[in-house]
Amino acid sequence: MSNGETASTLQQFNTSTSAKRYRPFSFSRIYAITINTVTELTRLKVFYVLLIFGLLLIGSSIFMAQFSFQQEFQILKDVSLGAISIFTSLLAIVATARLLPQDLDDRILYTILAKPVPRFEYILGKIAGVLLLLAISTLVMGAAFLLVLYIREQAVVHATLQQMSNAPRDQVADAVRIIQSSAFNIDIFPGIVIIYLKACLLAALTLFVSTFATSNIFTIVVMAFIYFIGHLQATAREYWLHEHSSGLVSRIFLAIVALLFPDLQAFNLVDDIIAGTAISLSVFAKTALLGVFYTTIYTLLATFVFYGKEL
Amino acid sequence: MTNSAVAVHGLTKIFPVPFHRQSVVAVKDLNLRIEPGEVYGLLGPNGSGKSTTLKIILGLVSPTRGGTEIFGCDSRLVESREAVGFLPENPYFYKYLTGKETLRFFGRLCGLRGAALKNRVNELLDLVGLTKARNRRLGTYSKGMLQRIGLAQALIHDPRLLVLDEPTAGVDPAGSRDIRDLILELKGRGITVLLSSHLLAQAQEICDRIGILANGVLVREGHLQELIAIENQTELVITDASEELIREIESTVARSNGKLIERRKSTTTLERLFLEATRADETKMQSNEEARNEK
Repeated sequence: MSNGETASTLQQFNTSTSAKRYRPFSFSRIYAITINTVTELTRLKVFYVLLIFGLLLIGSSIFMAQFSFQQEFQILKDVSLGAISIFTSLLAIVATARLLPQDLDDRILYTILAKPVPRFEYILGKIAGVLLLLAISTLVMGAAFLLVLYIREQAVVHATLQQMSNAPRDQVADAVRIIQSSAFNIDIFPGIVIIYLKACLLAALTLFVSTFATSNIFTIVVMAFIYFIGHLQATAREYWLHEHSSGLVSRIFLAIVALLFPDLQAFNLVDDIIAGTAISLSVFAKTALLGVFYTTIYTLLATFVFYGKEL
Repeated sequence: MTNSAVAVHGLTKIFPVPFHRQSVVAVKDLNLRIEPGEVYGLLGPNGSGKSTTLKIILGLVSPTRGGTEIFGCDSRLVESREAVGFLPENPYFYKYLTGKETLRFFGRLCGLRGAALKNRVNELLDLVGLTKARNRRLGTYSKGMLQRIGLAQALIHDPRLLVLDEPTAGVDPAGSRDIRDLILELKGRGITVLLSSHLLAQAQEICDRIGILANGVLVREGHLQELIAIENQTELVITDASEELIREIESTVARSNGKLIERRKSTTTLERLFLEATRADETKMQSNEEARNEK
């Protein structure tokens, strides 16, 4: 880079189009941060979690060959949906916990916020990136689970057809119907959506904690506590209401506890799916709304804290 | 009347210390004006309040009292940053992005897209001499290369003010000189530069005006030449002077009211010596390589 070269390059500067005028809200800025967050997380190889999930699925399906097909499908659904739930939750917490502290440590945050980027757009971009990554992960894990379930179902159907080759046609059709109904039920899909919304909630809560945390280890430890308390709080609340009067003070206290520690047990619809109990539309809508509500509240809280943060 | 590029009025920043009654005064009643087109050096020891002042100017930290403006716009407002490019001290950036991807990312944040973004990225990579390394991840860049890509991102939206926090920290003398030359070229284009530095010799070479901060207080400020001139001393630099001429000058000085304080051989700077030595070595290696290729 000699002086001559520098001068000639500088002369070209004004020929290119200048940056557009500042707009208080810009989807393209949020989009840039979102895509960058997804790139950051994928290049950090968080998708290795999906590999573990795949191995778990293959391992469990080999192990289950010794069971009856009803047991096999039940265990496959139990293991797979449980694994999707745990892995998405883990991914949500671990991936989100590092985003803010890392940007701050590396001073990238200074460089980004020294551009005409409002702080709320930075937070929205980050959370949108994590939610997109979680959506991709859930889709991949869900698709892998459904594929394995379909392959196993076809294998069982094929074996049954061979065994019943001389049986009457309506008897064969009944047997196939029983196999198919024990493999697939429509509630698997809303179940996966709820698992995704639970992960979104955890990601938003992690982002909120990380706005005031001193390190990502601190954030992960706090989130681990919240995760366990969140699963136990419904039982604790019922016990509290049973033991104490349900007056206004108690209810306010419980509302605060519910805000700090979301009722994660409410998102556990996996047991119903495995048991074959239908998930009603109202239960699904109520749980989905709860997930969206918590995710929105925690994102707003994260934005509020981040606005006042001295960098 | 045109607005100052940077105006700082009565700026005070106090950081509370958790669990202590006492607090830390980082900047105390600071007043500054930087005019458009100037290169202004904010100097001072560690902990003197330089970085805090820069952060307040960039809206990253809020002032306890007073305020700052960029071209007349309150720097707490996001739109004030349209006019600013910032290079932090020892920038890391995203290691997983290439040089080109990094500039594209920052360009998009500034509202650039399509062909305009592509052209700007190419221009800046060329400007900072990283065209060949454009597709390499920043994780493989040297400190000097990181500093140069940092400078490129600071210029992506063609700002009128460039804020540089220790722009040559950790960079080798050749890289440091490149950055210095670039700052002078940007000044030639009318870009205002505000830099904080520990490297006083370098600040002396490029700054029009300087301010010295100590314990958060501006203890000196003004045009560099005025501040460093010693009013009652004069230097003569003579080439090919004979011993007789020098003796004659000395005796003239002795006869007058003046006093000869020091007589010494002129020296080059260590930086110039280093650059000449390393560039000569580089040229020799290149010509050897060319000769080998020809064979």
